[in-house]
Amino acid sequence: MNARAARAPSPMLPLGFLAVAALAFALAGLALPWLGDALSGHYYHPRILALTHTLTLGWITIAILGASYQLIPIVLERPVWSERLGRWELVAITLGVVGIVGHVAIASWSGLVWSAALVAVGVTLHVVNTALTLRGLERWSFTAAMLVMGFAGLVLTTAFGAGLGVEHLRTFLPGDFFARLHAHMHLALLGWVLPVVLGVSAHVYPLFVLAPRPGRRVIAVQAWGLALGVPAVVIGLLLAAPVLTAAGALAVATAVAAHLVWVVSLLRGSRRPAFDWALRFLVAGAAYLAVTAAVGVALATGAAGGPRWALTYGVLGLGGWVSLTIVGMMLKIVPFLVWYRAYAPLAGRLPVPGLADLRWPVMEAVAFVCLTAGVAGLAAAVAAGHAAAIRAASVVVLVGCLAFAAGVVSILHHLVPCPMRRPAVRPS
Amino acid sequence: MRRRPEPAASRAPAPAPKPAALAAIPEARRVSLDVRDAIRRGEEPFATIMAAVAGLRDDEALVLRAPFEPAPLYRVLARRGFAHWTERRADDDWSVSFYRGASAESAPPRTPAGSDALDVRGLEPPEPMVAVLERLETLAPGQALTVVHDRRPTFLYPQLDARGFTHRTDEPEPGLIRIIIERPVP
Repeated sequence: MNARAARAPSPMLPLGFLAVAALAFALAGLALPWLGDALSGHYYHPRILALTHTLTLGWITIAILGASYQLIPIVLERPVWSERLGRWELVAITLGVVGIVGHVAIASWSGLVWSAALVAVGVTLHVVNTALTLRGLERWSFTAAMLVMGFAGLVLTTAFGAGLGVEHLRTFLPGDFFARLHAHMHLALLGWVLPVVLGVSAHVYPLFVLAPRPGRRVIAVQAWGLALGVPAVVIGLLLAAPVLTAAGALAVATAVAAHLVWVVSLLRGSRRPAFDWALRFLVAGAAYLAVTAAVGVALATGAAGGPRWALTYGVLGLGGWVSLTIVGMMLKIVPFLVWYRAYAPLAGRLPVPGLADLRWPVMEAVAFVCLTAGVAGLAAAVAAGHAAAIRAASVVVLVGCLAFAAGVVSILHHLVPCPMRRPAVRPS
Repeated sequence: MRRRPEPAASRAPAPAPKPAALAAIPEARRVSLDVRDAIRRGEEPFATIMAAVAGLRDDEALVLRAPFEPAPLYRVLARRGFAHWTERRADDDWSVSFYRGASAESAPPRTPAGSDALDVRGLEPPEPMVAVLERLETLAPGQALTVVHDRRPTFLYPQLDARGFTHRTDEPEPGLIRIIIERPVP
């Protein structure tokens, strides 16, 4: 059988997204120490909402969209339909995110709606690009199915978010305001981010740690857990039906547990003698996922409750699981894309540096220590509602964010043309 | 108390005698490369090793020190005409001498007649790409290289196009990707 040769897009397309995402992460870190008082109170606060959208849209969503432009050709073995559409998408989403964050922070709702519309345009462009890329796909893998589920979740989350913005101007949605807010947040976290993370990790973690891919049973538990659990959680929250929410949370937790059991078996079966900092971030992200799922189930079943636990849950999920996982992924993806752009044309003709030569291990180590410990401290301080402790933990997280950003800039500087560095080989 | 016999798996295999071809290479003609610290730091030593191999003269050997047995390298370097001799000094200290010999492994199955072969399965990106592009530089016009991969190398194709190689990809069995790359006759 002659197979179609899927081609990778220009590395500058995903790198553009990832650079914007890293900047958003650094800006969120810079804002944290100034939000100590707000984070010690109720989560429905304009500045906390602005911080949340900086993370969920500016950091997490833009990073995943960018990474998908590298991963889709590899995972689905198909070329991206239009790179130009991808560039316009980045412009629309970046402007929209800046608008949303700014308008939420000053509680200007008409501006928020226009900004949300801009984000919706960007998301639509991405979904159209992905749908046309997937057109005629013959072989559907677990990863492909999870990506489709995730993009469907992104569309629904974006539409839901825009609806919440319009609701501030003209009341039209039925039900309780906080129920809608919780449903929107869980649709984003469980309907958009979780399927993409589970799907992509099933494909790339075995490549990273040199271990086998997940078996059919693990895949089935994850797929069914999300397919049944996510709608149940979201609808249960919207309808204020605690039994449905709890049942959905347990189904999602089962999917998460299957993923975590597979990750542990992957680590045990790894043929890699030493883990780099990127892999350590991915492992730490998985550990935070376990804690986040436990707190989520506790909230859904009524074992825990109240705005402090809800905020702690958000810190563990967004700051711990998702952020650490994305940092780990980026520390794998960005060096490869930069290497490909700067050195692949020379490979085979001249000695070229390896990926490790592009990285700044000291900065990555600082980022790992500060982000893993800082987020744990921040979650504990938020749970206690202690403003001074929140500020102290926030400074640690900030150092981690800046160290990560410095590491990314250090990798990106290889894109600037300079004389080739030959790897050192010492004859005896 | 009766002493239990040591499990067979924990006994180190008896080292093979040093091949005559390797023993004939004087110490001054052996290039040493120690990648143990680099691997423990989580770095990828593949490019460094391949650069050292590329710099070897015909009468030189590479003595590689690694914290584990670098088995994937055997196949990669065998395709380039290198035989190897392995010494296990400790559980985390392996010394492997690569030298030009006649013991290169057989080519993977179903390689077209007249085609050279390179198996890059199990290597982390961009090591397969580097290995393929290095090998292609030695390809004469009209000659073909068959690459055995565990995935479609989407980032390799533009490099092949840019360098003027023709290529076709198929999947002779699930999970086994075969790319046949040919340098056209000018």
